[in-house]
Amino acid sequence: MTSLETLLKKRLKTVPKWLIWGFVILSFIGFLDATYLTAKHYLGIPINCSLFEGCEKVTSSQYATIFDIPVSLAGAGYYLLIFVLMIAYLDTKKERILYFISRLALLGFIASLWFLYLQLFVIKAICLYCMISFTTSTLLFILGLILLQLESKEIAVNKS
Amino acid sequence: MKRIVLWSLATLVIAGGIFGMVKLGAKNPADQTGSLIDLTSSSDWSKGNKEAKIVLVEYSDFQCPACGAYYPLLKQLNQELGGEMQFVYRHFPLRQIHANAELAARAAEAAGRQGKFWEYHDLLFENQREWSEKSGAKNIFVRYAQSLDLDTGRFANDMDSQEAKEKVDKDYESGLKSAVDATPTFFLNGKKIQNPRSYDEFRNVIEEAIKNSS
Repeated sequence: MTSLETLLKKRLKTVPKWLIWGFVILSFIGFLDATYLTAKHYLGIPINCSLFEGCEKVTSSQYATIFDIPVSLAGAGYYLLIFVLMIAYLDTKKERILYFISRLALLGFIASLWFLYLQLFVIKAICLYCMISFTTSTLLFILGLILLQLESKEIAVNKS
Repeated sequence: MKRIVLWSLATLVIAGGIFGMVKLGAKNPADQTGSLIDLTSSSDWSKGNKEAKIVLVEYSDFQCPACGAYYPLLKQLNQELGGEMQFVYRHFPLRQIHANAELAARAAEAAGRQGKFWEYHDLLFENQREWSEKSGAKNIFVRYAQSLDLDTGRFANDMDSQEAKEKVDKDYESGLKSAVDATPTFFLNGKKIQNPRSYDEFRNVIEEAIKNSS
């Protein structure tokens, strides 16, 4: 029993703090960004071109919604889910949650790649807030990879 | 206890985040009450009734798709209410995001020197897709000039002239002074208005102003 406890403690120690806070902060930034875009979608004011936000070509394109639901809303849900799961992790310290998030981050990253492709090659315009989301989801994915690597190392250690 | 604090804090942060972003998203740049600093001058391009009390000043960029979307609306307004109001066009090329906007503005100036500013303005908007992303837009602009029976040699020279550059810069500067940061931006009798969402809305705003002025 005691050996199992020490093993568990060891495992906990292997998840560095910056990784945890990275997940929390990045998912929150992504959530704010996607919520802003969603709010703009529902309350937004008609099209114009501005230096800062471009021409709203992206957010007013046919690709900005799926069945009338703005993709930014799905994005907000995704980031919120990660954020809440992180809080759940901070609360319960169950590492399973972290590994689940890492796999979720892969999905988010794939979705982001698709949106980047749409912006660069189909719509041929860039949307600043979509690029912020691309950045946060990519960073979340990288953090997820680091985490999964830690996991696989531990399994190797535990096996030997 | 620690759990309650953690979860309440998280809920608070989420709620605060949503509230802040919705507030920010609902903010309309045109809501900021702006006034036109430089009222109409003799160097402005205008059409409609030049004696009218109602003046609509538009800051626009020929390469801006939104300006292109408003172009037919303004044209229709001019047809229906042109006797009661004046339209002024000012250049506000968003050079950082629209590579050909500046050149298009100068081309319109050059056409204006031969008395066909508005005809050229119409051509630019009607064919916006054709020239917007092209690297050799200058040739296309000369071709448009030709189609309006302009002296193309003079047109090409005027397009690159210091005067055309200065006129575009002057319009741009006046826009900056009036806090223009997006196109199109409309000023009705010197007051910035929120971009109307439809032709009917646009017409109502102007008819209201006509009613109030008489």
